[in-house]
Amino acid sequence: MLIFSVFKTLTDQVVTVELKNDLCITGTLKSVDQFLNIRLDKISVVDPERYPHMMAVKNCFIRGSVVRYVQIPATAVDTQLLEDATRREHASTHKR
Amino acid sequence: MASLNGYINQRVLLILQDGRCIVGTLVGLDNRADIVLSNSVERVYSPDEPVEEVPLGLYLVKGDMILLVGELDTEVDDATDLSQQRAEPLAPIRYGHE
Amino acid sequence: MLPLSLLNAAQNKPMLVELKNGETLNGHLVNCDNFMNITLREVYQTSAEGERFWKLKECYVRGSTIKYLRVPDQLLDEVQLEQFHAREMQRGGRGGQRGGRGAPQRATFLGRGGGSGGGGGGRGMGPVRGGRARGRGRGM
Repeated sequence: MLIFSVFKTLTDQVVTVELKNDLCITGTLKSVDQFLNIRLDKISVVDPERYPHMMAVKNCFIRGSVVRYVQIPATAVDTQLLEDATRREHASTHKR
Repeated sequence: MASLNGYINQRVLLILQDGRCIVGTLVGLDNRADIVLSNSVERVYSPDEPVEEVPLGLYLVKGDMILLVGELDTEVDDATDLSQQRAEPLAPIRYGHE
Repeated sequence: MLPLSLLNAAQNKPMLVELKNGETLNGHLVNCDNFMNITLREVYQTSAEGERFWKLKECYVRGSTIKYLRVPDQLLDEVQLEQFHAREMQRGGRGGQRGGRGAPQRATFLGRGGGSGGGGGGRGMGPVRGGRARGRGRGM
């Protein structure tokens, strides 16, 4: 749930999604859901010559399970805050 | 759901985990992202030959096979000359390592 | 429209199923469930390379192994028509409540008693669509 929350704060940011089949797509993050499925608007493919398949596609839905990486702007996330939140969540779920 | 509902009755491009590209009209979906496409066509890309379009008709794809659903801008797509496009087919996803 | 509704409507229709391992099965759909597990009859199975073939009288396929299914085009129209009719029936039912015997729409036809001899009810009606049973044997 934590990473889901992180993504929710990133809506309207420009991100690059790298898929497990090596395809890289840059676009504006419009929405995300609990499966980390992603909706991107105004997309452009990173290597359009190699991937002309998506020339006519302006926005898309990407299944969370096929994402390898999501590259986000360096300043988009407060890493200290994220670290603290991660420790808290870890503490609460391992409270046995 | 990062919603697919906005794509209903639109022409969409589906990329499947095995690298296939299918174009069709999205007429149905469920919460597992299983998809029903009508008037669907597979676009087979090749580095040496024009894109081949294979008509498939009514197609039900399992959600777990789907990589990406793209909303097709039909104006741009109609203007695209597929016979000029050359590309390697998309790589399938491989889990684990060979 | 839900993919599972399309599949349910495809019972007894021919279809092509491709599995995740690349094998294809051509046969008639016998039954399916919510996981998209299916049973097919009169099946022609083809290996992934397209080199080997088997004929099976019946087979069961686990939904999680299915890549996709191809079904006859006319099925879409059939299902959409059916859903349209179902909606019309519902709407019609609500309208027919006038001068109410006060019978709630969704009640069964039995025990509606009164008036014209138990009308169309209680004769093994099938889908209880409610509402219209002013009971003049007007069956749906």
